[in-house]
Amino acid sequence: MVEFTLVSAPPLAGYSETFGTVRLTAPKDMAIVNMAIPLGADAKALKAVKTGYGVDLPEPGMSVETKKGATRLVRLAPDQAFAIFTLPTPDAEEVVAKHVKKALYLTDQTDVWVGLEISGAGALAALERVCPIDLHPAAFAVGGAARTVMEHLGVLIIRTGDECYLLLSASSSATSFLHMMETSIKNVL
Amino acid sequence: MIIEHPLLGPRDAAEFVYLGDASLIDRPDWQAEDAAERFYEYGYLRDNPAGEHQELWYHEQGDRSWLVVTRNTMSHEITKVELARDVAKARGRNT
Amino acid sequence: MTQADTTLNFVSGDEKAVKTVPVSGQVNRVGTGLINPNQKLKFSFNGKEMTGFAGDTLASALLANGQRLVGRSFKYHRPRGILTAGSEEPNALVELRGGAAQEPNTRATVTELFDGLEAKSQNHRGSLNFDVMAITDFASPFLTAGFYYKTFMWPKAFWEKLYEPIIRKAAGLGSLSMKEDPDSYDKGFLHCDLLVIGAGPSGLTAALAAARSGARVILADEDFLPGGRLNAEALEVGGQSGSQWAANAVAELTSMDNVRLMTRTTVYGAYDHGVYGALERRTDHLAKSEGKPRQILWRIYSKRAVLAAGSTERPIAFGNNDRPGIMLAGAVRTYVNRFGVVPGKEMAVFTNNDDGWQTALDLQNAGVDLMAVIDSRDVDAPVSLPGVRHLRGQGIVNTIGRKGVKAVETTGGVTLPVDAVAVSGGWNPNVHLTCHQRGRPVWREEINAFVPGGALPVGMAVAGAANGAMTLAAALAEGQAVADAQLTDLGFTPVAADLPEASDEPSKGAAFWHVKESKSRAWLDQQNDVTVKDVKQSFQEGFRSVEHLKRYTTLGMATDQGKTANIPALAIMSELTGRPIQDTGTTIFRPPYTPVPIGAFGGRSRGKDFRPTRLTPSHKWAEANGASFVNVGNWLRAEWYTKPGEKGWRDSVDREALATRTSVGICDVTTLGKIDIKGKDAGAFLDKVYSNTFSTLKVGKVRYGLMLREDGICYDDGTTARLEDDHYVMTTTTANAVLVYRRLEFARQCLWPGLDVHLISTTDGWAQFAVAGPNSRNLLRKVVDDGFDISNEAFPFMACGKVTVFGGTPARLFRISFSGELAFEIAVPARFGNSMIEGLMKAGEEFDAIPYGTEALGVMRIEKGHCTANELTGQTTAHNIGLGKMVSQKKECIGNVLSQREEMIREDDVKLVGLRPVDRSLGLIAGSHFIGKGADATMANDQGWMTSVAWSPNLGHSIGLGFVKSGDTRKGEILRAVSPVHGTEMDVEIVSAHFVDPEGERLRG
Repeated sequence: MVEFTLVSAPPLAGYSETFGTVRLTAPKDMAIVNMAIPLGADAKALKAVKTGYGVDLPEPGMSVETKKGATRLVRLAPDQAFAIFTLPTPDAEEVVAKHVKKALYLTDQTDVWVGLEISGAGALAALERVCPIDLHPAAFAVGGAARTVMEHLGVLIIRTGDECYLLLSASSSATSFLHMMETSIKNVL
Repeated sequence: MIIEHPLLGPRDAAEFVYLGDASLIDRPDWQAEDAAERFYEYGYLRDNPAGEHQELWYHEQGDRSWLVVTRNTMSHEITKVELARDVAKARGRNT
Repeated sequence: MTQADTTLNFVSGDEKAVKTVPVSGQVNRVGTGLINPNQKLKFSFNGKEMTGFAGDTLASALLANGQRLVGRSFKYHRPRGILTAGSEEPNALVELRGGAAQEPNTRATVTELFDGLEAKSQNHRGSLNFDVMAITDFASPFLTAGFYYKTFMWPKAFWEKLYEPIIRKAAGLGSLSMKEDPDSYDKGFLHCDLLVIGAGPSGLTAALAAARSGARVILADEDFLPGGRLNAEALEVGGQSGSQWAANAVAELTSMDNVRLMTRTTVYGAYDHGVYGALERRTDHLAKSEGKPRQILWRIYSKRAVLAAGSTERPIAFGNNDRPGIMLAGAVRTYVNRFGVVPGKEMAVFTNNDDGWQTALDLQNAGVDLMAVIDSRDVDAPVSLPGVRHLRGQGIVNTIGRKGVKAVETTGGVTLPVDAVAVSGGWNPNVHLTCHQRGRPVWREEINAFVPGGALPVGMAVAGAANGAMTLAAALAEGQAVADAQLTDLGFTPVAADLPEASDEPSKGAAFWHVKESKSRAWLDQQNDVTVKDVKQSFQEGFRSVEHLKRYTTLGMATDQGKTANIPALAIMSELTGRPIQDTGTTIFRPPYTPVPIGAFGGRSRGKDFRPTRLTPSHKWAEANGASFVNVGNWLRAEWYTKPGEKGWRDSVDREALATRTSVGICDVTTLGKIDIKGKDAGAFLDKVYSNTFSTLKVGKVRYGLMLREDGICYDDGTTARLEDDHYVMTTTTANAVLVYRRLEFARQCLWPGLDVHLISTTDGWAQFAVAGPNSRNLLRKVVDDGFDISNEAFPFMACGKVTVFGGTPARLFRISFSGELAFEIAVPARFGNSMIEGLMKAGEEFDAIPYGTEALGVMRIEKGHCTANELTGQTTAHNIGLGKMVSQKKECIGNVLSQREEMIREDDVKLVGLRPVDRSLGLIAGSHFIGKGADATMANDQGWMTSVAWSPNLGHSIGLGFVKSGDTRKGEILRAVSPVHGTEMDVEIVSAHFVDPEGERLRG
């Protein structure tokens, strides 16, 4: 063996900036696991989620936080959901497996994505420049989740609070993703 | 255009990729006597109506669902949007 | 000059006291209107310093300063002045600003004045006052419609080289700076229940009704001051001035959370399903943009819309009706009432309708000497104007004064000395947006105008003048009523509200288009210099439909799109043909309503931001280690790593390819698509999407897979590994990653929805490195943790499995080889990617490991005869590349039925072969075609073509891959490789495509 330690360096790690009233932050140690519901075994899978996490899997287009707020479950499609939580180590799939056993097919997505959280007065105005989804509070409730396209980038946007949104995009284009968000904020401030 | 996704509500057509006639769901039986002829028709002969058309759209920048959209090609009026999976099953594709 | 010429008295709103401000130079400023007399602004026109006030447009400020001549016309270089007070302006086009920010063809009538504004007139050589090109005006008998078509046709080659450049230079508009646009642009998305287009009287009542009902409302207006004609008229609403009522309505709307008021915003297009395009001008009215986007292109998603776009006044054609000082009557009222500016001191009004009389009244109240009101109709004056001469049933037949009107002559033989004329030919509802989905307007006889007709864009209703409601009271009422109907339709409950009181002012008119007695040229389209005579000529030569008229005369094809010109012109055509105007019809209105800069459509997508950039996990390391990068789709990949002393790319690539084959090389292959496939039917699913079988693949093994299109042509290839019973990982080519995923979803959802299989992309999740070369295993033994046996026996060719590296980090190891050497691919979570290549390089120090890029990768794959997109072109069958047997006929899979068509399995079809030059010192050329010895280099003798070539540092000569007819049976044969494009020809020998290690011993070692 060679003396060497691998260093974890996700794109945008440690990024946090404040622009006037708007704050843009890359969440630390964000883990994501894809959960696929086996064909014809919906009931069993949904029950496993309920048992494992204490909450029901929401409808497509919505997300829900587990009781202690440790995990956010995002339903993307009838047979697909993401579990988003905090974990510094690269074993997210195993962590979710402990909750749902083998009732769902799991695939680690942590390194596929990169996250940016935008919050504060002006966040909505900045998002208006890139996001085709109607983010009006009445149309996009807290917990709402939508996959869409912003400046040619596929983005999953989740409303995590009153004026707080978590955006996920492909990790390989993290630089373009950050540039898009910073430009949007600077353009509206 | 706006496509009223059956699960996610109205979405801009920019999120979708267009494929074509929804008859592409009706893939012929590969073991049929006249399979070659039927695959030829399946692959190459499609209607191109001026009017109501059932067509396949893929929500690529969305939930990755394939949809069957009933659209009037003259007016762009969309009268029906279904999950292609459901349409396929209804047409007997359940293997 | 009297005292009144140099000062302006006004009542200050706060102090209720009369204040006096100096207005030196603003000889035509007679009041304060809605400008702010406390804020004086300096600007220049053709270098001449002038002043105006905040609230002025450039046009109102120029008029205030007595500047009547503002430009030269497009074709005849005729002196021209300001015709209108809005976005329909055909004449007053100027160049704004300077340097890179120079903006040509800006309409002075919608340009908000700011301090320091610089404007220049356009389209003249020499000064504006003495334009040497004005000679074209005297040559006008030769320059009528169709002149260019008829004259410059011969000789044909002269058009592009001689005629066109000269004509372009002689005619034309403003000039471009030819520098990169220094401004930035942005886009955005808005959603609303009701979009109200236009903030005039009907737009305001519509917006108020919607806002009070609780609906989400967007109110957009192109002006910087909402209110529309309310700001331009002396009419009262609800007992106060129209402008004050508008200001109060705007204040109420602004205070409501559910309303977004967008001024300086033009809704330029109506698209499908309630989508509208709008251009918001954010910094055009400021001296500097301060780094903010100059304009924003909005996409507005509306559930319903009310079009309250108002109407546009049209001129009457008469002899020399284009002289500076001749303006539209409604525009004159705008200048008088809104800007406190009169166009002249001695004026005449020429009208065919009641509304022109309102101008006469307002001019008289402003203290202008009114020489006469000339009414084409033989009717009593609809407005009482004591002491003003009324010329009944007359028209202006000619005007005098080259650079500004000095006098007019009437059909009754009266000559009136004037310095300005107000003309009203009636008003056209602005139906443009109603036609963007092919609605066709209908002619309404009572108002002599087209009103919206046919199928309107989905969700749109029209109110006010745009709908033919031509009086103030009618417009206010219709705005509210139409909005209420739209709201009810959406499920809102309209709030009962009383309409403000307003008058139904006289609005009768006559269908009178041109003064037939005129002998001189009578202008219709002033921007493209189209006259009544041109329309007649068009008719005589058979171009009688409006679409032909437009293209033959260029009517309405200028930047103003004929907003003032089209209707009079087609009315004249209707007179000539004897067909009713309804049947003559209009040309089709298309977006945009007013010009939209290309920059706004581009938005942020400029330069390196044209599309996103994807970086590989080892990008930072590669940058620091001399990598040169190449765009592969959106990816940036290292193409080679330059070492000190290397003189060119070949030095680096040769070294990398040699070092890999002799010891070990490392390449980041993360960009290949990775699709995680799970489910109990995953194997069965793969059998259907690949031409070969995967359900039989053992766990811990990898297999090469070939994917066909349904028509039997090769689509993509790659390796797929089975990590668990119900878990496969597929790799695709970099270019097809997204497309293959899409096809798999199609197969999963539409073709075989009964299979339990689930897909998710993991391309970005794993940093994957090829470790290739005889020392690759030795290197990896220092990386993979103890306890994982990667010996040839335990981990043979095409093995795969989960391992850990560098003390516990999870990884995936695949024994696959693209280079043909003993090779592995190792993947770690992407977060470790940059560190991983450092670790691999450190472990490889003792083997002189090198990183290699895509070029060396390419050299080595050609040396091994592996296909890429050069070979899999979308016309290639499995048969062509010698993989015909991989297409199973024993199972259902995409493409296998049609792959067996006769023409696709011909024995004498082209086959993939290797090629080398007979003279080894020569370099092969990709794209060369193969011709038999002694045969002519024609397509009839074509035997195939060269797909890929490379210099092989391992063999020391050029090598190539190519398709040759029956090539698999012709090894050793000599053909000529001919490239007419390069003008080259050389003898080549057909050889095996496996140039290196043809038996494949190395990769199994």
